[in-house]
Amino acid sequence: MNGPSVNDRISPELERQIGRLLFEKMQPLLLEFDRDWHLVNLHGDAALFGFAPDDAATSVQQLQDLFLGMPMEAAIDLAFVQMPNGRNAHVHLMLVDGGHQVLLIDAQGEHDRQQAQQQVGNESFLIAQQKDKAVRQLRQIRSELESQRNRLQEANALKNALIATLSHDFRTPLASIFGYLHLLEEEPDAPLETRNSLRALRRNANYLFALAENLLEYARSETRSSLLAPVVTDLQMMVEDLDQMFRVQAEDVGLGFSITLDQEPGEPPILDELRLRQILVNLIANAIRYTQSGSVRASLAWRGGSLVLSVRDTGVGIAQEASEAVFVPFNRAGNAGNGGAGLGLSIVKRLVQQMLGTLEFESKLGKGTCFRIELPDLTHLVQKVDARAESEAGQMLAERASSVLIVDDDPDMSHLLGEIMAGVGFRVRVVADATRAVEQALADPPDILLVDVELPGLSGNTAVFRLRAKGYRGHVVTISATPTEEARKVALNAGANQFMTKPINIEQFTRAMLRVRRLD
Amino acid sequence: MSTNASKVCLLGDFGVGKTSLVARYVRNTFSDSYLTTVGVKVDSKEVPLADGAVRKLVIWDIAGKSGLDALNMSYLRGASGLLLVADGTREATLRSAVDLLLQSRSLLPDAHAILLINKLDLVDRWEVAPATLVELRKSMTVIETSARQGDGVEQAFREMATRLHA
Repeated sequence: MNGPSVNDRISPELERQIGRLLFEKMQPLLLEFDRDWHLVNLHGDAALFGFAPDDAATSVQQLQDLFLGMPMEAAIDLAFVQMPNGRNAHVHLMLVDGGHQVLLIDAQGEHDRQQAQQQVGNESFLIAQQKDKAVRQLRQIRSELESQRNRLQEANALKNALIATLSHDFRTPLASIFGYLHLLEEEPDAPLETRNSLRALRRNANYLFALAENLLEYARSETRSSLLAPVVTDLQMMVEDLDQMFRVQAEDVGLGFSITLDQEPGEPPILDELRLRQILVNLIANAIRYTQSGSVRASLAWRGGSLVLSVRDTGVGIAQEASEAVFVPFNRAGNAGNGGAGLGLSIVKRLVQQMLGTLEFESKLGKGTCFRIELPDLTHLVQKVDARAESEAGQMLAERASSVLIVDDDPDMSHLLGEIMAGVGFRVRVVADATRAVEQALADPPDILLVDVELPGLSGNTAVFRLRAKGYRGHVVTISATPTEEARKVALNAGANQFMTKPINIEQFTRAMLRVRRLD
Repeated sequence: MSTNASKVCLLGDFGVGKTSLVARYVRNTFSDSYLTTVGVKVDSKEVPLADGAVRKLVIWDIAGKSGLDALNMSYLRGASGLLLVADGTREATLRSAVDLLLQSRSLLPDAHAILLINKLDLVDRWEVAPATLVELRKSMTVIETSARQGDGVEQAFREMATRLHA
């Protein structure tokens, strides 16, 4: 089979055909100029490239400008030049016989193809770049948000620590105030003016106490897990204490007040006494605060292993739309003028949840509100030996106690405790620091050691631990301004038999001492 | 050919706004849509100068690239002035502009050069730091421009015309 024939030269005819084809494709325009750039001849479609016959001078000038500054001694090629009418052409300058010839070849098709390709490439690149930038910015924003969150958490922790410290520091002076108030209120012949003053003092001390407790609870809730502290709870004692706390306050503003207990006989309930007390204090204080006339009635009922408590008032009531907002911290649901920090109900709700209870309320604007709370017995949560041990230890001390060593650096507090203990027949010694307490307790062991935890130098817990380590077998009551389960555990682990928190329930304390004397 | 005319080339990476700068300066127009330039677009404008003279600028808007290839080199021949254009929101285009200047020096050692940092209207997104511009200004004229709003555009071309006239 023969292959294709190869010729070195294209035939003139074929060359003419190719020439015609190229000519049609390229649509060339040839412009001939003399040496002074006067247009002398023109071949092709001038209009295709925007050359207007009636304004040839302008067009020629534009063409000339393309070669501005270039040496004119050799041919010049310029690819893809946009003509005045927007059409793209390849431009070739040729020097012929002292003059110039400019050949324009249409390049629009090739230009458009290249432009389409480059457009896609460039846009993709720009989009990718913007995407990368956006991702970098998002990462930076995220990083900034995280560091801002860390700063806020630090600030929040600092705030909570500050609140906790402040409210903790309230307890010691309040313990003194309540104690001395109690002593003064016992005076049978006090004149009316003095009694009124004492009522005012108790009212304000109550408020301060409740506020401090709430702030402490608020801070505590954000800084530690909410461990329950179930203990054998003397509901009768609590009712009496609350009655004493609020009766005067209610009567001073013309309100009727009652708090009752309905308790079936049998084992006393095991509840978180501190939290229960805080719930009642908040609900009753709120009821008195928001009741202008009428009464505040509280009731506790212990039946079938659960405690139902209710606080009913005839106050301003809570609007339907505020029924959620009243449980938001620092929100007083439009009752800002009535004082209070706006923490009470939020803390009540939280405490009830912590105690595995339920809370509900009914309210009518202008008629009053009734809160009802049900709390289960916490026996199943308590290490029974620990819980009852404190109570039994109290019985033990009652049988043989006759001397007491009080360890407290606050002279007001130690004097108050001394007065109470001496009043029920104890032989009282007082020291102000743990080192001397250890020395004295070992030299002449007291039947009861009443020791404050927060002492200068050695802590009260350390003193108790040392004494136990050296064989001291007396009854130890640790008193602390930190009402937490952790603090109680630390004190008991150190060797204390009982753990009490400030302010001390003087009634309860005194009655226990009286029972000691009686049994003794 | 007129003797008071000068060829000025715009060089810079793609998408920095060279075509938009010319459109703003020559026709006082602006379009948000981006259309890449292939080859070269040539425009001209006469600039009246302080001394009463008029300088015609023949402005070559050359296709954007980060480096000079043979085609772009061919467009540069005969240029008296270079406007290097960068996009303030893309720092890499500033490096390209400086590279282009250095490459063009082999062909145009004496050409006047001015650096334009475009997209001043997007200054809140700029990657080019002010301190970088302070450093650059120690070795060349730098003008911040906005083709969209016109800021600095007239000033840039007038500055070039003035230098070419001097």
